[in-house]
Amino acid sequence: MATMQILTQRDRLASSSARTALLLLRGRALIVLLLLVLTFSVLTPLFFTGNNFAILSKHVALSAILAIGMTFTILTEGIDLSVGSVAGLSGIVAGYVIANGHGGTVAAILAAVAVALIVGLLNGFLIVRAGVAPFIATLGTLYMARGAALLSSSGRTFPNLATKSAAFAIVGQGSLLHIPIPVCLMLLLYVVAAFIASRTPLGRHIYAVGGNERAARLAGIEVSRVKVFTYLASAFCAALVGIIIASQLDAAHPATGESFELNAIAAVVLGGTSLSGGRGSITGSLLGAFVIGVLADGLVMLGISEFWQIAIKGAVIVLAVAIDQFQVRLQARLLPFLLRSNPEAGA
Amino acid sequence: MAACAGSYLACRGAEMTDVLLEARGIVRLYPGNIALNGVDFRVHRNKVNVLIGENGAGKSTLMRILSGVEQADEGSIFLEGNPVHIRSPREATAQGIAIMHQELSVLPNLDVAENIFAGRELTKSGLIIDKSNEDRQSQRALERLQQHLDVERHVSQLSLGTRQMVELARTIAHGSRILILDEPTSALSTAEAESLFRVVEELKASGVSIVYISHRLHELLHLGDHFTVLRSGRVVGEAPREDVTREWIVERMSGGAEEAISRRCSVPRDADVVLEVHNLTLAPSVGDEGAQAPVHDVQLSLRCGEILGIYGLLGAGRTELLEALAGFRRLENGTVQVRGKIVHPESVKDAVRAGLVLVPEDRQRDGLIPDLSIRENIALVANSGPVYSRQKEVERVRSLVRDLQIQVRDLELPVVALSGGNQQKVLLARCLMRDPVVLMLDEPTRGVDVGAKAEIYRTLKALASKGLSILFTSSEIEETRLLADRVLVLCQGRVRVELQKEQLTDEALFAAASPDVACARRIEGVPA
Repeated sequence: MATMQILTQRDRLASSSARTALLLLRGRALIVLLLLVLTFSVLTPLFFTGNNFAILSKHVALSAILAIGMTFTILTEGIDLSVGSVAGLSGIVAGYVIANGHGGTVAAILAAVAVALIVGLLNGFLIVRAGVAPFIATLGTLYMARGAALLSSSGRTFPNLATKSAAFAIVGQGSLLHIPIPVCLMLLLYVVAAFIASRTPLGRHIYAVGGNERAARLAGIEVSRVKVFTYLASAFCAALVGIIIASQLDAAHPATGESFELNAIAAVVLGGTSLSGGRGSITGSLLGAFVIGVLADGLVMLGISEFWQIAIKGAVIVLAVAIDQFQVRLQARLLPFLLRSNPEAGA
Repeated sequence: MAACAGSYLACRGAEMTDVLLEARGIVRLYPGNIALNGVDFRVHRNKVNVLIGENGAGKSTLMRILSGVEQADEGSIFLEGNPVHIRSPREATAQGIAIMHQELSVLPNLDVAENIFAGRELTKSGLIIDKSNEDRQSQRALERLQQHLDVERHVSQLSLGTRQMVELARTIAHGSRILILDEPTSALSTAEAESLFRVVEELKASGVSIVYISHRLHELLHLGDHFTVLRSGRVVGEAPREDVTREWIVERMSGGAEEAISRRCSVPRDADVVLEVHNLTLAPSVGDEGAQAPVHDVQLSLRCGEILGIYGLLGAGRTELLEALAGFRRLENGTVQVRGKIVHPESVKDAVRAGLVLVPEDRQRDGLIPDLSIRENIALVANSGPVYSRQKEVERVRSLVRDLQIQVRDLELPVVALSGGNQQKVLLARCLMRDPVVLMLDEPTRGVDVGAKAEIYRTLKALASKGLSILFTSSEIEETRLLADRVLVLCQGRVRVELQKEQLTDEALFAAASPDVACARRIEGVPA
């Protein structure tokens, strides 16, 4: 009897504090983001201004869009390293179409997206059919896409695109209801992607493939199709980024997007998506992209050297993964508590 | 008072010198749960010490404490009368205590010998791994288990049963004086189990004390020398073999499966045939070419509302037969008819469309998605179209959870939070959501405790009386006999005999499946 009493007391205490901790951990990307905004707002008056947020969100939109596509591939226990190069290639394709007078803005965008989807399909084919590991397959297409961009432009830039097709400037520089178009695109993409991930059978199949591919296959899920979809989605996002950048710069440069993939992966990981697949969310990746963006922006405003910024970014990423592992362990330890709130649950 | 108690214990210790290891007053608290509540447990020297109890009774926890995986919150452990502290598995090994865990812990990416010596590699002058010596010793350990196995084969290529043998070989190769076997036969065929029993007897004779945990009463009664029954973290019975009967055990464990199952009236002989299989032959699996076809020329038919059992030894082709019907593997020859229409189960999707669904043998590997919730696991593939209605899904899942008595209120909990029995029901629910014509189950109650077993049997019988046809395979004679209306016995990929409900006895099943001359002759009689 005495043991029982001690136990319940110990339980209640441990249970409530652990639950709170878990709740905080789950919302950590949002909490960190709010803390960063608060800190920088206190430290510099320039930070909390409409103007700064407009610039900030335009920057963040690029890595956020890439991160959204990347999340799908990582959820299936894959990865897409080719996104930076695909962004560069798409920009070049759009620039090529406009600069050589092959078509207007719409044609340029369609061509850019089509080429990106071909690379995405190639990624999917290499991974699903040829059985190449995602890391290697997309590393290969990273170089292939970059090479294609350099070849098709002979290494040169396609300048002054807006003079040939005025509408092209809108994609990167226009705004809708005072919101920059890139930010609108990011929000739209976020809503669609979050819906796919959480409310459609396709989304559930993506989680299932990442959680236990064998079981998913035996349950009748078409694993190959699911995987190919994720690489197509990722390539599509990369194409958008490439087009936006070309529009913003009013020029297509073949080196655009170099090492963008690393920023996108960092955002996904910061957002709590597990690199071993099956666990994570689109919302997390969006928040992750904002954490990185706000951190960079704030540090610049405080006048902290760029070298420090790079080092700090790295530390934040590593810390994020360490916290994620802590959360996983805590959750496992909490399972008995969770079950106890369901007295009928199995032992 | 203390001195008195001490002298009493010392005195008793002198009397019972046959006690090699003794655990006294072991208490182990888990959050929300007392796993062990003052347990006394004795391991008698050179005996098979049987530990029985339902899942959750605390057997595995007690063994984890004895083998150093966990520490007791209270209580002490004495080895040959001296108090010992076992703080880690390494210390347990040093004391000569070895454990073979219930969940397999082999390393699939290494070969057999590397597995047997994982963590205690044999080296030449402490630097280089002495692979040939490891191979030799592994071979010897496996020979004691009468397993003829290439020690350089990768464990990933081995069947579940053989993997377990590798794990057993590992504990044997350690040369331990106490060997704990936690449900060693749960994945073994009768033949493998028989060879395990021989090994246990031999080890006992060579001076090893054994702690044996199992759900299977008949093998416990066959093997055990000393019995301890646990229930809800307490010892509720302890007796030597002479004083133990089947009834004694069942009474103390409570909730025996056999009594709980209501008898069902037999299927009318004129019920519609829903599944007909003709001349089914399967190709050997990839990487196993040159081997015999796993299933040869099998015929079977299944009536509406009938429960057909497939019984046979490991390698008889039971799993392969079900997998082929479920679209997991390729048919080489033969036809499958569902409700009179020829179907081609070339993929899982085709099979499901034809109404053939399978609950796989290995829940963790082939069934559950650990990261998803209970609801999502059940409704995993139930929705068609690009978008689904959450509300409808929740309703359907809820009604299934009610029907199958899955004991959980919050369907959003991760599926790994459930006990084995409830996890099995989750997979059952997933299959039922696809409106099957024939529900197939490979080892329907593997790793499920006695109480949940009875529930699953009841559920399956209830489903059958509602007109669902069920095809299952089991390596447990008892289960096959209890559940099936009719049984096909497979031997080396061929149907050997068909037994009707009236003919189903342990002896008949055992005889029909046992490796014997008749079976071998039949196979040899067929021209290659």
